[in-house]
Amino acid sequence: MGRYLASRAVQIVIVLVIMSFVVYLLIGLMPGDPIDMMISGNPRMTSEDAQRLRALYGVDRPLVERYLAWAHQALLGNFGYSRSLNRPVLAVLWPRLLNTLELEGLAFLIATAIALPLGMWVAARPRSKADYVVNLFCFAGISMPTFWLALLLISLFAVKLGWLPAGGMADPRAGASFLAALGQNIRFALLPVATLALVQLGVYTRFMRSAMIETLRQDYIRTARAKGASERMVLMGHAFRNALAPVLTILALSFGALFSGAMITETMFAWPGMGATIYQAIQTNDFNLALVGLLLATFATMAGNLLADLALVAVDPRVSITERA
Amino acid sequence: MDELVIGMSTAPGTLNPLLNSMLAGAFINSMTERPITVFDPDWKLVCLLCTELPTVENGHARIVDLPPDDKGVVRKGMEVDIELRPMTWGDGTPVTARDFQFTIDVGRHPQSGVPSVEDYRRILKVEIKDDRHFTITRDRVTFDYNVLDFFPLPAHIEKPIFDADPAEYRTRTTYDADPANPGLAYGPYRVVEVVPGSRIALERNPHWSGAPPQFRRILIKFFENSSSLEANLLSGNVDYVPGESGLSFSQSLAFEQRHADRYNVVFKPSLTYGHIDVNLDNPLLGDVRVRRAILMAIDRKTISDKLFHGKQPVADGNVNPLDPMYSPAARPYAYDPAQAKELLDEAGFRQVATGERRNARGQRLSLVLDYASGNRASDQVAQVIQSELRRVGIELRLKAAPARIYFGNLNKRKFDSLAFYSWVTSPGSVPRTTLHSTEIPSAENGWSGQNFPGYRNPEMDRALDGAERELDPVRRRAFFADILRLYADDLPALPMYFRVDSFVIPKTLTGVVPTGHQGCTSLWIENWRWRD
Amino acid sequence: MSAGAHPTRLVWRRLLRHRLAEISLAFLVVLLVLSLGAPLLAGLRGVDPSMTDLYHRLEGPSARNWLGTDDLGRDLFQRLLDGGRVSLLVGIMGAILSAILGAIIGVVAGYRGGRLDSVLMRFTDGVIALPLLPLLVILAAIDPAKIGIPPDVAQSETFSLYRIVVIVALTGWTTVARLVRAETLSLKARDFTRAAQALGARPWRIMLRHILPNAAGSLVVSTTMSIGTLILFESTLSFLGLGIQPPAASWGNMLTGAQELLQEAPMLAVWPGLLILLTVIAFNFLGDGLQDALDPRSERRT
Repeated sequence: MGRYLASRAVQIVIVLVIMSFVVYLLIGLMPGDPIDMMISGNPRMTSEDAQRLRALYGVDRPLVERYLAWAHQALLGNFGYSRSLNRPVLAVLWPRLLNTLELEGLAFLIATAIALPLGMWVAARPRSKADYVVNLFCFAGISMPTFWLALLLISLFAVKLGWLPAGGMADPRAGASFLAALGQNIRFALLPVATLALVQLGVYTRFMRSAMIETLRQDYIRTARAKGASERMVLMGHAFRNALAPVLTILALSFGALFSGAMITETMFAWPGMGATIYQAIQTNDFNLALVGLLLATFATMAGNLLADLALVAVDPRVSITERA
Repeated sequence: MDELVIGMSTAPGTLNPLLNSMLAGAFINSMTERPITVFDPDWKLVCLLCTELPTVENGHARIVDLPPDDKGVVRKGMEVDIELRPMTWGDGTPVTARDFQFTIDVGRHPQSGVPSVEDYRRILKVEIKDDRHFTITRDRVTFDYNVLDFFPLPAHIEKPIFDADPAEYRTRTTYDADPANPGLAYGPYRVVEVVPGSRIALERNPHWSGAPPQFRRILIKFFENSSSLEANLLSGNVDYVPGESGLSFSQSLAFEQRHADRYNVVFKPSLTYGHIDVNLDNPLLGDVRVRRAILMAIDRKTISDKLFHGKQPVADGNVNPLDPMYSPAARPYAYDPAQAKELLDEAGFRQVATGERRNARGQRLSLVLDYASGNRASDQVAQVIQSELRRVGIELRLKAAPARIYFGNLNKRKFDSLAFYSWVTSPGSVPRTTLHSTEIPSAENGWSGQNFPGYRNPEMDRALDGAERELDPVRRRAFFADILRLYADDLPALPMYFRVDSFVIPKTLTGVVPTGHQGCTSLWIENWRWRD
Repeated sequence: MSAGAHPTRLVWRRLLRHRLAEISLAFLVVLLVLSLGAPLLAGLRGVDPSMTDLYHRLEGPSARNWLGTDDLGRDLFQRLLDGGRVSLLVGIMGAILSAILGAIIGVVAGYRGGRLDSVLMRFTDGVIALPLLPLLVILAAIDPAKIGIPPDVAQSETFSLYRIVVIVALTGWTTVARLVRAETLSLKARDFTRAAQALGARPWRIMLRHILPNAAGSLVVSTTMSIGTLILFESTLSFLGLGIQPPAASWGNMLTGAQELLQEAPMLAVWPGLLILLTVIAFNFLGDGLQDALDPRSERRT
C-alpha cells in the first residue's frame, strides 16, 4: 500500500513537472504578449512604452530562461502574480477551486443519483418503448452543444419565465441567515448545475445500462433465475452489485475531472470557477494565472483520481491496487 | 431601491487608476475619484477638481521660455496654474497638491509600470504654492495644455509603498492589496468589496463634498459572454449595462425594437473612427485612382443603413462632423461602381475574360483585407466589402487574426494592402501620429508612430504642425480644413464610418448621459437616480 | 419481462432498433451528398452563397431562398450546406486521424508488451488525466508564425481547417489506444497470430495483416461515435472564437454568430444548432447500431 501510494505520488509529480514546462512553452507560442494586450486597450501607448514595459515584466528574455526563473520561484513556494487581476495567483485560484467543486460536485451527485437507477431500470426492459425513449433522451443530452443548451436554459428559465437568475453567483449580504444565504447560493447554481448534469446524465445512464445488460447475461444470473429467485431479487441483489464495479471505475475517472472545471458552462453562467478562470487567463495573455491554474487543475484531477481509486478498492474487494497500478 | 446593480462585460484588472489600461477600471475609478479637467458629454473641457478652467485668456496659462537645453537652445513651453477644490480622501485626509506631484512622479518613473508615460513626461515640473494651489510646466506649446484627465493617487497611503521599491509598486499598490481602504476614494463612492473577476461593491463615501449620490450601494457584476450579459439584464438580475463596456451594437438594436417599453436605447455618436488603412508601399495601390475606385465601389451608405440601421454615419474624413474643429472641406465619395470601373481602367487595370483585372504587366488586382477577429460587426462589414469589390473586378481575400496578432503586425506595418480598424480620439485632437511623415513606424525610430499607410506629404505635415501649435480656435480650424481636404484627396486611408456608442438604459433610471469619448458616464454618477 | 417475449413484438423492436441506425445512415448520406454537391447545387439554383446582398437581409423562406437569407443576405440553405461540408470534414478527418494515432499506439503497446507497453500506457493514462479542453484551447491559440510557418500559409483557409482537424484529433486517440491494446492482447494469443509468428512473419506485418483487421470492428464503432463528439468539439472551439474563421462557414461559427441575433432572427441559430444535434445523434445511433451488429453476443440473444 505504501509503495503504491509513493509510486502514484511520484507519477503525479513527474506529470506536473513535464506539464509545467510544456505549457510554459506553449503559452510562449501564443500570439503577442501581455504588453500587446495593453496596447490594444490604450491608444495612447507608444512603442517606447511597450519596450519599457516588456523589460519591466521580463517578457523580453528568452522563454527557457523565463521558465527556469519561474520554476525556481515556484519551488520556493512563490507562484507569482496574476497580471490581469493584479493579485497573487494562489489567492485568485483557491476560492475558484471551491466554486468549481460546488458546481461540478452538485452536478455529479445529481447525475449519478438519477443515472444509476434509470440505467438499471431500462436495462431490465431492453428494447422496450421506455428503453427507446430513455436512449433517445440520453443521446440528445450527449449530442447537444453545451453552450447551446445553456443558452436555451437561460432564455427559457431566466428570461421568459424569470424563475432563476441568468448567471453569476449569489452576493452574500452581511446579516443574512445561513439558510437564506444557502438558498440564494442554490438558486444561482441551479441552471449551470442542470446544464452540466444533463450531459453527464446521458453518459452515465448509458454506462449503467450496458454494464447491467452485460451482467444480466452472465451465467450466475441465469442460475439465480433458474433457481426461482424473484426478478427484483435478481436485479437488486445479484446484478446491481456486480454491474456497479465497472460503472464505479468510470465514475472514478470522471471524479477527477470535477476539479478542472467546466470552461463553457462556467463562462456562459459567469460562474467564477477554474474553467472560466483558465479560459479568461488564456484570453488575456495572463501567462502565470493560466499556467498555475492548469497545474492546480491537473494536480487536483490526479489527486481526485487517486482518491477515487482508493475508494474503489475499499468498496469492491475484487479490485486490487496492484492491478490498477 | 437604494441599490443599483450594474452588469459589465469585462472585469477590470487593477483598480489603481495609473496602472489601469482598461475601460472597466476607468468606469469604477470615475465613481471613486475625479480628474482635474475632463471633456463633458458636450465635448467641452470642464473643471471637476479645479475651481476654474485655466486658460490663456484668463491668465492662468502662459507661454514661457524654457531653460536652455544641452545645446543651449531655448524652446517655448507653457505654465498652467491649478486651484483645487477643497476635497478630502475617505479617511479624512485632504486632497492636496502633493498628491498630484506624487502621481506625476509615479507616472514618469520608468519602473512604475504605467502603461503610457507620454502625458506625464510632457510635464517638466510641478511647483507647489500651498495645499490647494500649484503650477505645472509643460515642455511644449500645445492646444491641449489644460487637459489634465488623470486621477491622483493618495500620497499619504501610496508614497511609502512606491518609495520602498518602485519596481514592485504595481504588485503592492493598496488599490489591489486592500481595495476597501477608505483613503483611496474622494469621489461620491468608495469600494467596499472586491471579488476579483466576479463582482465589485461600492457604497456612498461620507467624505464626498459634491452633490450627494442617490444610491446607497452600487454592485457591479461581470459577465464575459455578451449573450449571458443580455439575459441577465432581461431577467432583472442586473439593472443596467453601461454603454462603455456592455452590449454590442446589434444587441442594442434588438432592445430598441423589442423592449422599447422598458428601455431607452441611446445611440451616442462617438469619436471612434472606422477606416481602412492603405499600404501605400504596395505597388498596386500607389495610384490614387485605384484607392478612389475602391472607396467608390463600397456602398458605405447601404452598409450603414442596413447593418447599423443608419445609426453609424458614413465618414468623409478622419474628423467627426461633431468635433469643434470639423469643417466640410473634404471631397465626398458617393457609391458609384460604374465610375470605380472607369477609374480602374484608367489606372491600367483592365478586366479580362475571367472577370478579374490585370495591368499591362499582367499583375492581378488582388488585395488582402486584414482585420481583428472576434468582432461580429467587423466580420460582417469585411464580407460585404469582399462581395462589393468582386463586383468591380477586384479580388479581396479576408484575413482575420486575433487582435493581439493583428495589432502587433500593424504596429510594424506588416500588412499586405488593406487594414480595417477603428480608433478613438478626444475632441479637437490633432491626428499627428497617424498622418505625419515622421510618424511612420520603422526599425530606425523603434517602431513608434501610427502612420501605418506610410503616408508622406509635406503639405499635410505643415497643416498638422500648425494645428498642434496654434492656440487660436479659428486659425486652428483652418489648419484642420487643410488636413481634411488633403486626407480626402490623397486617401492614405479609406474613411468608412463613425461609430456610435449604444446605451441601453432602463426607463426607470435617469441622469445617465453618454459622452461619446473616452470619459466615462460614471464621472457624473451623482446625477443618476431612479425615476419615482 | 425477459427479451424473448412475443415473436411479432420482438420483430417490431428489432426493426425499430435497426431502423434508427438505418434512418441515421440515410440522413448522414443525404447530408454528405448535399454538402459535397453544394457548389453544384448553388450553380443550378443560380444563387451564390458567398455574395452578400444587403437589400435582402434576414428574409423568410421563399422559392428563391428555401430557408431564407442570413444577416448579410446570403442564401441560408447553401450556407448551411457549406458549413456542413466543413463540420463533417473536421469530424470525419479528425476521427480517422485519432483512430490511426490510437491504433498505432495501441497495437504497438499491446503487441510489443514489456517496457514499451508500460511507457506508452503510462503516457496514455497521463494524457487522460489532463484537463484537456484548456490545453487544447492553448493549442488552438498558438501563433503558427512562432513555430516557423510562413504567415501566408498560416493565414490561409486550408491551414486553419487542418489545424482544427489536428487539434480535435488529439482529443480522441486515448480511448482508441486502450481499446486496440486490449484487443491486441487477446488476438496475440490466438492461433492465427501464433501460426504467422511460426512462419517467420515480421512483427509489423503481423500487426498490420493479422491483428488490426481483426480489431477493425470495434475501431469502426469507436470512430463512428467519435465523429459526433468531434463535430461538437469544433462547435465548442468556434464558440470560444478559436474554430473556423469567417467568411468560411461551419455550423459552429454560424451558431456562435447567430447568438447575438437570437431575438431578431432566431431561425439563424435554430438551423445550425438543429443540424449539429441531429448529425451528432445520427453518428451515435449509427455507432450504436454497428456495435450491436458486430457484437456476436447480441446475435445470440435474438
